[in-house]
Amino acid sequence: MEAVKNALDFSDFPRLDLTVAGLVLAFLLVFPALPHSGFAMATMIQFLMFSLYGMGWNTIGGYAGQVDLGKAQYNGIGAYTTAVMMVRWDAPFWVSMPVGLLFSIMWSFIIGYPLFRLKGHYFAIATIATSLVLKDVFESWDFVGAARGLAIPIRANLPDFLYLQFRHDYYYYYILLALFLLGILYLNAFRHSRLGYQLRAIKDNEDVAKSLGIDAHWCKIKAYAVATAYVSVVGSFHACYNFNIEPEDVMSLDLSVLIAMMALLGGAGSLWGPIIGAAILVPLKSYLGDWLGAESGLTGLNLVIYGVIIMVIAGAQPRGVWGMVEAVRARRRGGHAAA
Amino acid sequence: METLLIELLKSLVSGLLMGMVFALVALGLTIIFGVMDIVNFAHGEFLMFGMYTTLLVSPLMGVDPLLSLPVCGVVGAALGMVCYFGVVRFLLRGPMVAQLLGTFGLMLALRNLALLFMGSEPRLVKSGVLVGRSLVLGPGVVLESTKLAAAVLSIVSFVFVWWLIRRTKTGMALTATSLDKEGARYMGISTERMNALAWALGGASVAIAGGLLVNFWPVEPNVGLLFTMIAFATVALGGFGSIQGAFAAGILIGMIVYIPPVWDAATSFAGVDAPTIHGFKYTFVYLIYFLIMVLRPQGLFGWKQ
Amino acid sequence: MRKLAGILAAAFLAALLAAGMVQAADKVVKIGVIYPLTGGAAAEGRELRAGAELALEIANKLTPGVDMEMAKNAGIKSLGGAKVELIFKDHQGNPQLGADLAKKLIEDDKVVGILGCYHSAVTKTVAAVCERFGVPMINDSSTSPALTKAGYKWFWRTTPHDAQFTRDLFEFLKGLTEGKAKGVAAVPKADLATLASACEKTEWGTNVDDQIKSYAKEYGFNVASSILYAAKSPDVSAEVQSMIAAKPGAMLFASYTSDAILLMKTLQSMKAAPKLLWGQDAGFEAPEFVTTLGDASNGVLTRTVFTPQVAQVKKVAGQVNELYKKKVGHDLSGASARAFTGLQAWIYVLEKAGSVKPQAIQAACNSIHIPGEQLVVPWFGIKFATTGEDIGQNVLGSGMIGQYQKQGDKITLEIAYPFELATANLIYPLKGF
Repeated sequence: MEAVKNALDFSDFPRLDLTVAGLVLAFLLVFPALPHSGFAMATMIQFLMFSLYGMGWNTIGGYAGQVDLGKAQYNGIGAYTTAVMMVRWDAPFWVSMPVGLLFSIMWSFIIGYPLFRLKGHYFAIATIATSLVLKDVFESWDFVGAARGLAIPIRANLPDFLYLQFRHDYYYYYILLALFLLGILYLNAFRHSRLGYQLRAIKDNEDVAKSLGIDAHWCKIKAYAVATAYVSVVGSFHACYNFNIEPEDVMSLDLSVLIAMMALLGGAGSLWGPIIGAAILVPLKSYLGDWLGAESGLTGLNLVIYGVIIMVIAGAQPRGVWGMVEAVRARRRGGHAAA
Repeated sequence: METLLIELLKSLVSGLLMGMVFALVALGLTIIFGVMDIVNFAHGEFLMFGMYTTLLVSPLMGVDPLLSLPVCGVVGAALGMVCYFGVVRFLLRGPMVAQLLGTFGLMLALRNLALLFMGSEPRLVKSGVLVGRSLVLGPGVVLESTKLAAAVLSIVSFVFVWWLIRRTKTGMALTATSLDKEGARYMGISTERMNALAWALGGASVAIAGGLLVNFWPVEPNVGLLFTMIAFATVALGGFGSIQGAFAAGILIGMIVYIPPVWDAATSFAGVDAPTIHGFKYTFVYLIYFLIMVLRPQGLFGWKQ
Repeated sequence: MRKLAGILAAAFLAALLAAGMVQAADKVVKIGVIYPLTGGAAAEGRELRAGAELALEIANKLTPGVDMEMAKNAGIKSLGGAKVELIFKDHQGNPQLGADLAKKLIEDDKVVGILGCYHSAVTKTVAAVCERFGVPMINDSSTSPALTKAGYKWFWRTTPHDAQFTRDLFEFLKGLTEGKAKGVAAVPKADLATLASACEKTEWGTNVDDQIKSYAKEYGFNVASSILYAAKSPDVSAEVQSMIAAKPGAMLFASYTSDAILLMKTLQSMKAAPKLLWGQDAGFEAPEFVTTLGDASNGVLTRTVFTPQVAQVKKVAGQVNELYKKKVGHDLSGASARAFTGLQAWIYVLEKAGSVKPQAIQAACNSIHIPGEQLVVPWFGIKFATTGEDIGQNVLGSGMIGQYQKQGDKITLEIAYPFELATANLIYPLKGF
């Protein structure tokens, strides 16, 4: 009950935040009804997916301050569980998704225990290593199709809500939007939860937190499992949305890094940060790629610009875009006080 | 039995050589890390710039690719300084995550600049003292001359850097900066200059490595990523900032990479029809990295966490 | 009276609709083309694009001197001379991006169909999008056998797939032992009985690896070492060492350009001495393979669907190759010839359909038969299977094996298989490095 109350409690945000969030929510709800291109719809779906990835990453990377660069492995576990169960046993998405979630969380406990003995850069690189090891295993494991990947057969009658197969993208969009809202509510509850406070204490000063009787190692493992859950669910969704998955596609290092980058760029450790990060980087990448793509003869310029923008934001404000907003606010508050 | 021994010997020698190549590539990363606690995602891109430098400069000046190595060093040092003063300096204020983000952006920008100007097709130096040569030691034991040269360069560079850090005044200033920034500043060491020096040194060493490697490896804009990953593993395994640690870890990784051919030789000697494990070549690297890290979180030779 | 008025009104409406359609068709027919124009396979992507563009030029204007149906019309005759327009998109080898671009082409650009995508993995996701939207897709250049096993109703493939190409390889090896190869006496089977293969660990390479193993068993060869290596690897000397240790008669590869070059360099520096080297297309027939490796490529075999030598046995191939050379500066390659043929298939299908309605195109694809003399590639023609295991697969395709041969300063890709088309004496065994 407490958790539900916490999830719905947004009272610690300034009114401006809530107004903007409300407007964005209204826009997201009516977006499919507005005139839009198919590419815009595909981009919006990517945005929602990366927002969810980022929200998950935020629990471990933001609130707990552990730079995790191996989230793609859980995307892979989720996607593969769903695909394998659909292809082999004809299991609906709503059955395979929770199973994938369970597998992901189990795996996160297994490797989380040794992983969190490490700190800082050692931890970051070890997370990359675990993700790549798992990818290599999947690439050689015949049961899941090895490097060939797995194709999910298209069903005869679309739309099919059980198996998450639709002709038009707006079905996927609304399902993802529902997950997105659930994700925000859960994260909001997480923020106020005991674990949330413990993590922030650990992030501020691990030794002090330990002296207060917080089991830092166990807290991090739990936060890692929460992060895993978000990524795994999106992974299951991704399998249905794409109809075909491959290790290189769902478990790549690029994906791991992108997940972290989007959350960091938006502002890790805040509720809105990862969403802002995804809202900036996803469309930027899609549309820059489209405008400056193959037709322009300037191949690569789009990603140069993309890279420069990331550098500028990282250099200007280490806490990302949300950090900039907060800095402006703090200055204003200071200004008023002086006046 | 004899074939098994020969295969074992071959793998040992090749692994040693390859390991020294990995160590050479990782040297720059470990210098930069040692001085300023920053992981450079763009490390492999510096290597790529070095490769392209040799590729462009040696036909332009009409000299052997080997003689263009000093140019690579200059280009690498300049690139390191530009990156430091243009980007990295601003990242130092932030936490580790901001540095990762910033150097990741740098990596994307450098890689795609190369794509924009050089195109995406793989290129190779076609003629030179080292190109296509190899040294035959015995029946089937062949050493590629490029790797041999890279191994020699690797030893020379490591000794040089070790001497620089341990025996010169500048090196001691670098060490002081890496140990205690505040303290170094009180002693009148300009940390700004030390940081810039570390980037110049790191950039130069990896660009020279690139200039040498292009005698054998084809270069294309995406070539850096896998070298970056291996360099990360090498540096972390050795202990961040430890020069001799990076060298030892490089050799260890080189040996690990040659597990699959040994496995093949052993299974065929035993007459077992086992599948090859070449697909897991880098898996072993990451796995062993993970295991060593968990057992010894500060790395093989590291002293700070 | 009322009835008559009704009929008249209906007739009027129908005429109006028909007029509207002709009007629409008068303008352009858009086809979306998705290729890897940047990223790891950009070199191949450029070839593909140039091939498709040449086919477009020939289709859209009268081209005298080319003995093809489409050269004799300007535009699609059955659509009132409608011109074809290609919209190129770059998937960078990324399946997700490919799917998003397909949606863009279908929903925003309103293309009548899709051509692409080279990488089998991307073709898979794009084909799934086309299947969902009911938009026809012709695949010109992806060779994974799995693609035509999905039973899709909107997917057709002109190129033969890897099962066929790999069978060609073993037919070739068998022929070699029987003395069928031009200029080479029958080779004792023991010389070639042991094989070693290295395929990249991707959807495509893994399938090739499977095919090699299963055909080797069927034809009585022994694959002593079959390696799946990590693509875009910084070093492959460990892999090569294992291959050499197996002492194979022939070494077989499936790699894209940068890996193919690195493998060859490594073989060269490690003094490998196989009697025969064969590459499964891709990197081995990219123009960079020869330009980068130079003399080292002498004697290497690659499966392909086209070499300029085809012109010797096929006039129309020579005519098109001349045009291509004028446009791009070098000969047609396997990739550009396949892209050319893929778009050509699209033109003939549209001509036959006489409509841009998906159902009409579907029916046309399922019943079309393009005779072999229309094509630049040495196939028997194009006719898609509508039943059986390989639905949508062109049943009249055939592969070739070419051999790089150095004559003077030039390295040309001579035809080595089919034996009856061979244009030069086979170099066998390889000199070794």
